[in-house]
Amino acid sequence: MSPIDRQAANDLMPLSPAVFHILLSLGEGERHGYALKREIFRRTDGKLRLGPGMLYGSINKMLALGLIEESDDRPDPHLDDERRRYYRITNYGRKVAQAEAARMRELAQLATATFGSPKHA
Amino acid sequence: MPSWPLSLKLYRFLLKLYPAGFRDDYAGPMEREFRDQLAESSGVFALARLWLGLLTDWAVSIPLQFSRELSQDARHTLRLWAKRPGQTVFAALALAIGIGANTGVFSVVNALLLRSLPFHDPSRLVSLGTFFPPHGSAKEFHEWRLQQGTYLTDAALIEQFDVNLGAAQRPERAHLSYTSWNFFAVLGAQPALGRWFRDGEDTRGKNAVAVISYGLWQQLFAGDQQAVGSTIRVNGMPLTVVGVAPAGFNYPNKSDLWYAANYSPGNNGWQTIARLQPGITWPQARAVFAVEADRLWPRRDELGNSEHDPKMTSLQDELAGPVKNASLMLMAGVILILLIACSNVANLLMARTADRATELSIRSALGASRARIVQQLLTECLLLSLVASLAGLLVASWTTSLATKVQPAPLSTQSYLILDGRVLCFAAAAAIASCVFFGALPSLYAGRTQPFGARVSSSTRGARLIRQALVAGQVMLTIILLAASVSVGRAFVNVMKTDRGFTTQGLVTVSVSLEGTTRGVAGHQLPYFEEALDRVRRLPGVRSASETEFLPLDATGFVGGPFGFDGRAAKQNSTLIAVLSDYFKTMGGRILYGREFTDAEILSDAPLAVVNERFAKEFGSAADALQHEVTIGKSTSRKIIGVVTGMDYMTGTMDTAHCNQIFIPAHAPGGFVSTFVVRVDGRAEGSLPAIRDTIRAVDTQVPVFGVKTMEQRMADAVARPKFYRTAVLLFAAFALFLAVIGIYSVVSCAVALRTHEMAVRLALGATPAALRGTMLWQGLLTVVAGAIFGVAGAMFTGRFLESLVEGAKSVDLATLILSFLLIALIASAGIWAGTRRIARLDILDLLRIE
Repeated sequence: MSPIDRQAANDLMPLSPAVFHILLSLGEGERHGYALKREIFRRTDGKLRLGPGMLYGSINKMLALGLIEESDDRPDPHLDDERRRYYRITNYGRKVAQAEAARMRELAQLATATFGSPKHA
Repeated sequence: MPSWPLSLKLYRFLLKLYPAGFRDDYAGPMEREFRDQLAESSGVFALARLWLGLLTDWAVSIPLQFSRELSQDARHTLRLWAKRPGQTVFAALALAIGIGANTGVFSVVNALLLRSLPFHDPSRLVSLGTFFPPHGSAKEFHEWRLQQGTYLTDAALIEQFDVNLGAAQRPERAHLSYTSWNFFAVLGAQPALGRWFRDGEDTRGKNAVAVISYGLWQQLFAGDQQAVGSTIRVNGMPLTVVGVAPAGFNYPNKSDLWYAANYSPGNNGWQTIARLQPGITWPQARAVFAVEADRLWPRRDELGNSEHDPKMTSLQDELAGPVKNASLMLMAGVILILLIACSNVANLLMARTADRATELSIRSALGASRARIVQQLLTECLLLSLVASLAGLLVASWTTSLATKVQPAPLSTQSYLILDGRVLCFAAAAAIASCVFFGALPSLYAGRTQPFGARVSSSTRGARLIRQALVAGQVMLTIILLAASVSVGRAFVNVMKTDRGFTTQGLVTVSVSLEGTTRGVAGHQLPYFEEALDRVRRLPGVRSASETEFLPLDATGFVGGPFGFDGRAAKQNSTLIAVLSDYFKTMGGRILYGREFTDAEILSDAPLAVVNERFAKEFGSAADALQHEVTIGKSTSRKIIGVVTGMDYMTGTMDTAHCNQIFIPAHAPGGFVSTFVVRVDGRAEGSLPAIRDTIRAVDTQVPVFGVKTMEQRMADAVARPKFYRTAVLLFAAFALFLAVIGIYSVVSCAVALRTHEMAVRLALGATPAALRGTMLWQGLLTVVAGAIFGVAGAMFTGRFLESLVEGAKSVDLATLILSFLLIALIASAGIWAGTRRIARLDILDLLRIE
């Protein structure tokens, strides 16, 4: 990441759980909005249930920030509705997700050093 | 599932409430997702859970999206403003003046007419004007009031004076109200400390008690609780303080203290207030009151006072009385100003929107919906009106401080406040209404913006028509305001031109009151004035000096009666004015026949009189009045030694020749208030301190006040009409300025939009001057259309104005035509300036670009 990109990424830290999970889900491949929502629901064992307003609000913001972009590629029309909009992560989005992960890792290390690891973990 | 269509409809409705940009982009996917979820939710509980989740999500996400889009639009707006700072500042300023002036004047109207008085159930309080219930003694009055139970719960009497208050060495002036003991009970107020008057305390021998105002309590006792029971001296007389009025209670007329009444037969200085019985209507109460007034005063018509019939008015109207109409006139004026400002800004924004047609078309082509573009434009308008409102609050506070100076509120609790819930609501409503008004038209116009490359001329034509209609409307309102300003201006000129019977230049006035001082004792008054006048006359630059007990322009009451001429009764009551020698000489009055009093005549209290021309003429020619007698009742008479031009005591537009005035020697001056009048060489202001100090040095226990030049008193007296004239004149000037800007902007915009057409016409042989002439003609047509309605409106509002402003008369047709010519001339200049671009057109360049 260039210094400018790093600075821009740091300005976005910490990411909201919705944004981070959207980036994580898109890290595995392109998805449309509803698929993203279901994927996040699955990944978080139902702890993060994004409503349509919050989901598309986050997508709107992430598009404006350049973290994700709309994808013109469509899966096999037999498998999906071509009217759906698909999103994919940008390089910048990937770097921001990495930076956020690093930030969380540092935080986790600091917490461990301070409080120790839980026994059941 | 049967509930699907309903659920879908409801969800679509919720989606419509999202901001336009977000809705454009995501309403489709969100609806599709909703359908998917509906399909997956089986059963009532699942559906309920789905809706609960959706509603929570909707409530959280909608403010987020709005704040996001509004901040985007606001940033865009700020960039646009920065590109055209001049236009933006002009629009904001026009609106700020419009909204601010409205808010300021509304705060006055609110205080005087809308905010209720600080008394219990104030809507039932009445003032019984020109009405004197029996008041020879406390018993008489209280018996009378207890008999009025059919329509009044209670009634009280008030009489007001200025008095000397405090220690003998340095007394101060204070405003005192004599009241019947039940005065405070009628108003329904509670004392801040102590008690009000008790039953029976308004009888001679028991009435040495006073209630002091909150301000006086702070000033004399620094808020000490021990004030109750202490003694204060009023005109040298000791009074026991029994109570303190609550803060803000200063009725009537900014009273500093209230003193239990001292009744005497024949006193007509009383004012009656009362509280209506619950449930009785105003017409019913008025009817019973009229019968009672007829019963008490059946032959009042014979006294020539038929124009002063007893009147029952609400206390609030009575208090607002003198300024109510003028405030309403100003309110109408500022509303017109706001309308003009709004149409102007609408015009400006439409021109700007037309200029931005390309930008809007491109945005439209790139997918921005009509709603998104309208939202952007409305945000611009909202921001503009927000900025204008904030600036308007400054204008409003300036307006109210000016109004406070010129027409102070009758009660301190009626002070003109901007930070009052109702005033702020009005300001917000004015801002929103103007935003809707000036924002709606450009938005509608932009709403019809076609995608890039598909603009059709019909929308431009429609916009042009709207803009021309706006200009015509502005011209109409401007002519109405111009006519009003001429009308009010003429009324003011009449006030200023009125012959008041004296000259103000070089005249100094200083008031004193001997009451409660050792000089106030019988036989000591005249020597005090003689000594003071002797000292003043010896001052350098003093030409002459005298004294009067009733100074022109300063009539706060009426002293006089039904005097006659050689035993024949005059048709009208006469004012009685006691003066010392040299009075007319000092005042610059005009002695038409005979002479004024000499010192010897004053000293001997000679039974002489000087009458005004009006009185003398009632009984024959003015010259023949000399040597005849003024008769007072049947036994007393005074020989007339002079006939003078009357002097103006009331400051209205009324001709002084319509009042009977009788001047007599002041043998025992200094009673309530006496005023020294001194004529000096040069500027009167320069002589004020020396004259004041000289009079004060005669006896330091005599309070000296009202140290003013007569010109200052005149300026104070005409401050209100002058303020109205200036305000209306400013309104008209501002309206004219805005109208010209509006006309100029319409023409410049038309030229800009028709550049290609102009170029073709020039190429076909038309001269620039001919084209500009055509534009001038077309522009003037709009002005003429507006002017026709304006003239009609001015004639209509002229009649309205006559009823609102004393002395205002409808303007004549000639003035209206002159106003029209003025506006046409200024508009022509604006149009000519707006079309100067035509003369600079380079045909080849333009046609090559096309």
